[in-house]
Amino acid sequence: MVYLSKVTAFIRKEFLIQSSYWMAFIFSWLGILISAATFYFISKLLNSENMISVKAYGAGYFPYVLIGIAFSGYFSTAMHTFSGNIRSEQITGTLEAMLVTPTRLSTIIISLSLWDFIFTSINAVIYLFFGAVFFKVDFTQMNIIASLLILTLTVISLSGIGIISASFIIVFKKGDPVSWLVTISSGFFSGVFFPVEVLPKYLRVFSYFLPLTYSLKGLRHAILQGYSIGMLLPEIAVLFAFCIILTPLSIKIFGYALRCAKISGSLTHY
Amino acid sequence: MDYAIETSGLSKEFITPRIIYRAIAHPFTKQKTILAVNNITISIRKGELFCLVGPNGSGKTTFLKILSCLILPTRGNAVVFGYDILKKEDKVKAAIGLIIGDERSFYWRLTLRQNLSFFAALYNLNPLQSKKIIKELSCLLEIEDMLERSFQECSTGIKQRLAIARGLLGDPQILFMDEPVKSLDALLRRELNIFIKDKLIKERGKTVILITHNLKEAEQLADRIAIMQKGEILACGTLAELRAKINNPIGSLEEAYSKIIVD
Repeated sequence: MVYLSKVTAFIRKEFLIQSSYWMAFIFSWLGILISAATFYFISKLLNSENMISVKAYGAGYFPYVLIGIAFSGYFSTAMHTFSGNIRSEQITGTLEAMLVTPTRLSTIIISLSLWDFIFTSINAVIYLFFGAVFFKVDFTQMNIIASLLILTLTVISLSGIGIISASFIIVFKKGDPVSWLVTISSGFFSGVFFPVEVLPKYLRVFSYFLPLTYSLKGLRHAILQGYSIGMLLPEIAVLFAFCIILTPLSIKIFGYALRCAKISGSLTHY
Repeated sequence: MDYAIETSGLSKEFITPRIIYRAIAHPFTKQKTILAVNNITISIRKGELFCLVGPNGSGKTTFLKILSCLILPTRGNAVVFGYDILKKEDKVKAAIGLIIGDERSFYWRLTLRQNLSFFAALYNLNPLQSKKIIKELSCLLEIEDMLERSFQECSTGIKQRLAIARGLLGDPQILFMDEPVKSLDALLRRELNIFIKDKLIKERGKTVILITHNLKEAEQLADRIAIMQKGEILACGTLAELRAKINNPIGSLEEAYSKIIVD
């Protein structure tokens, strides 16, 4: 109960701050429309009939890429929200004020990121809404439960990487190699803009080590073709494995980083 | 339990970070260490107003941060309100309130009430308790008419009062105050000092550890004063005891401070 009221306080605080910059909301949603429209017209240039790898998802290039860009937002949020929010609270000086309260740093870090995940979810829904209303993408086959399951596993596994990245920020303040490496590689290797099958075999290997590859594949099947949980078991199993490995690993690394920062006295430095 | 704080041999050594080119050019030279807190053994009674004075960089803030569980000591230990700082961090944090003179530590886009509500939740207060204590503290600190104003619209005096209100949200037994009135005018300083002495110590029985550079203030407020330099407590006692140390029974704290620091 206490934990829940703390989490709610963080979400409320972040909502109040962000909504005070209301122009940012409008432009962000306008940006979604423009981005969706851009890919819609690019898809008009491409002949989907020839895209065998795209056709495996039961739709043309536009629905394929729409889901890619809508849900890759979770990836960038998970990569940057933990480290970004900690750094921002360090700079504004509010982190120290939080740390002297009986609230654990792990609670602070997770709660700080929740608003970003909520906002990303709103954006993803807006992407799909614009896709359906303005560009006539058919989502009638969507399997909501399977999509939500894959999304949950995606957020947990990616958050593991995000927390590892925040651990670097706690110790080194800037220049976190995890986020840099994963962000650079995921945009290219995970099938956001094109199916990983079109990559040469030796490059395709990298995509197997990224959770986003499996989540995008699973989400496309669940949203566009209505695949059931049973049909998506291979993707779910891999994402689950990522969660099992990354969650305890990230907690361990985070604990170590916290101790280092307390020893060096740099917990609130930036 | 008669003491609010007890420390034994508390020390903190910081290793200065190495600049990359030096690490490459001189790989075998030892890294420099700075002894920020040096073997402090002290007991502070419950309900005491204890002042820490000393030149900049003497280790006062580091000492408070160790007691607030923000920095781990290198050696020694401390017990805050009966809880070991190394083993019972959550309990220690529930017993303390930290008030810093830094006005950056609030959310400038939020109102005073929204700021206090947020921090109240971190002190484990439910919305009802939070509402009640915000009302009580805002009356106590005379900011009740300002609660709906955004933080950025408030004067420094109001911001400082808000910092005190935040420190009191969890009804802590011990208050750590790091120059809480540093940017206030003389009249406001006086008002807040009276508030600390009368409302916090006399009425509510809090223990206050106050860091200040204003020796007059320390002289007027403190039950005991510790003079720190280079991480060590050079002298500690009541004003009369410090005067006795310099063999001047009517000397000021400033005189005692200068003599003890120079010696």
